[in-house]
Amino acid sequence: MNSDNIMLKIKGLKVSVDDREILTGVNLEVRPGEVHAIMGPNGSGKSTLSAVLAGKENYKVTEGEILYEGEDLLKLSPEERSWAGIFLGFQYPIEIPGVTNVNFIKTAVNEHRKRKGLPELSAAQFLKLMRERMAYVEMDSSFTSRGVNVGFSGGEKKRNEIFHMAMLEPKLAILDETDSGLDVDALRIVAGGINRLKTPQNATIVITHYQRLLDYIVPDYIHVIYKGRIIKSAGRELALEIEEKGYDWLINRQ
Amino acid sequence: MKQNYIYAPALTSEFRCKVPLKETRQLFIVNGKVQGGKTPFSLRLEEGEIMDEMLQIISVRHKSYKEHLSTQQDFCFGKGSAGRIIQCSHTFSPDKFRTTEKVTITLERDASAEFYIMQNEHNNAEHSTSYEVNLATGAFLKMVFLSLHGGVIRNDIFLNFNEKHAECDLAGLYLTDSKQLMDNNIHVNHLVPDCTSNQLFKGILDDEGIARFYGRINVAPDAQKTEAYQANHNLLISDMAKAYTSPQLEIYADDVKCSHGATIGRLNEDELFYMRTRGIPAAEARILQQKAFAYEVLEKISNMELRERMLSLVERRLRGEFSHCSTCIRNCC
Repeated sequence: MNSDNIMLKIKGLKVSVDDREILTGVNLEVRPGEVHAIMGPNGSGKSTLSAVLAGKENYKVTEGEILYEGEDLLKLSPEERSWAGIFLGFQYPIEIPGVTNVNFIKTAVNEHRKRKGLPELSAAQFLKLMRERMAYVEMDSSFTSRGVNVGFSGGEKKRNEIFHMAMLEPKLAILDETDSGLDVDALRIVAGGINRLKTPQNATIVITHYQRLLDYIVPDYIHVIYKGRIIKSAGRELALEIEEKGYDWLINRQ
Repeated sequence: MKQNYIYAPALTSEFRCKVPLKETRQLFIVNGKVQGGKTPFSLRLEEGEIMDEMLQIISVRHKSYKEHLSTQQDFCFGKGSAGRIIQCSHTFSPDKFRTTEKVTITLERDASAEFYIMQNEHNNAEHSTSYEVNLATGAFLKMVFLSLHGGVIRNDIFLNFNEKHAECDLAGLYLTDSKQLMDNNIHVNHLVPDCTSNQLFKGILDDEGIARFYGRINVAPDAQKTEAYQANHNLLISDMAKAYTSPQLEIYADDVKCSHGATIGRLNEDELFYMRTRGIPAAEARILQQKAFAYEVLEKISNMELRERMLSLVERRLRGEFSHCSTCIRNCC
C-alpha cells in the first residue's frame, strides 16, 4: 500500500452523542479509486460515522482524528467539507418545500465553482450539465421544477441524491444506506449512477445493511462495524459470508 | 366603471411606478387623495362584469401631510362579476405617519374577487386597516396579505358568510425585524350553512420584532356543513423576537369540519445540515429555508408575474436589503 496516497485517514475515532459513546475507536484508510463498504447491524454506529465525516453538529469527537488529504477534517464546517470534495448521500433525504430542485442544485454548484475561482455557469451551460447528469439516474425534467424531494417516492429521493452527487463531482462520496427502501429497478438505477461516477481519482464509502447493493457496486474492502468499532475488514468475499451467516459469527468471536 | 381607475396622467413622476406589472392598471392615492378620481375611492363592478386587467391601488404617504390620516376604500362586486385588486401602501419618508384605513368588500351572488395586499412602510409608520367583508351565495374571495415592512402594521378582518355556498381563502405573510410589530386579527363568521373558509398566516420574525395573531372562527348554530380551517405559523430567527398567537374556534353547529393550529418555531436544523452538505453556506441556507417557509403563502398568488415579484421582494427583505426602502420603494410593486 502506498501510504503517501491516503485520501481519508481515520485514527482511533471516538464519538459521543449526548454523553453516550457511539463510536468507540474507528480506524480506516481510504485511497483514491477505492470503494469501501461499511456493514453492520442496526445501531452499530454506521450512520454516526457518516454524520461525523460530513460535519453534523451535536456529535462530539472525544478522541482520535480524521485527516482528509492530509488536513484536519474536523476543523471544517459542513459546507467547507463539501467544497473540499466530500459528499454525503442521506439515508433519509430532507424535503425542502418551496426550494425547487433546480434552484437548489444550481446554488450548490455555483457555490462550489466560486470556491474554485470559476465563474458561475450560464443558464445554458447549467441546463446542459443538468440534463446530462440527470440521465445518469434516469430522472426526467419534472423533478427539477418540484421542491427538493417534495412528494418524491423513496426511490426518487435516492436517485436525487445521486443526481446531486453527479452535479458536485465529489472526491469522496459517503453514501448512507442509499439502498434502503429501493425496489430492484431503483436499486439498479441508483447503483448504475454511482458506478458511472467512479474514477481512479475519487473514492466511495457505501454504508449498507444488506449485501444486495454490493451485487451492483463492487467494493474493494468491506468493514464490519459493531458497537462503534470495526471488528472485521476483508475483501468483497466477506459480503457473501455475511449474507449467508449473518453477523453473529463475527460478533460472537468478540 | 373604467374612469374609476385611470392611470392618473397628472401624477408627478415622483410617485409614478417605474415598473408596472403587465396587464395592470394603476391608481394612486397620495395622502388619502385619489389622483385623477373621486375621494374616497370606490369601485363597483356591474352584474357579469369581468375585469380583464388587475387594478393596482397604490397608497402613499408623503411628507407634505404628516397628520393622522383616516381613509376609506369601498369595493362592491356585482352578481357574477370578477376582478383582481392589488392594494399597496407605502411611506415615502421616515416620518411618523399614522394611517387608519377602512376597507369594505362586498361580493354579491357568484361574484369572485382576489385581493393582494402589499404593505411596505418605514419603521416610524403606523398603519391600521380594518376590512369588512360580506359574502353572498356562491361568492369566492381570496385575500393575500404581504406585510413586508413597517413600524406597526395592524390588519383587522371581519368576514361574514351571509348566504350559502360561499368560500374565502385568507392568507398572510408578515416579516418583522428591528422593533416592528405586525398584528393580524381575523374574525370569520359562519352565519349560514355550506360555506368554506381557509386561513393561513405565517410570519418570520427577526431582531426584536413582534407578531400577534388572533384568529377567531365563529360557527353559528344553523351553519351546518361548514368547513373552516385556520393555521398560524411563526418562525423566530432571533432570540429576542416574539410571537403571540391565539387561534380560536367557537362552534355551535354539530355537523362541521373545522381545525385550527398554531406553531412558533425555529429553522429546521436537519434541513440546514442537508443544504450545507451540498456546499450551500449556512447563511445562504437559512435564506433558502425562510423563502421556502414563505412560499406556501406566496403560492396562493395565482398571477405568476405578481408571485415572482413578491417572491423577489421577500427574498430581498430576508437578505436585509429592504430596511432602507426610500430608494427601493419605487421598484417594489
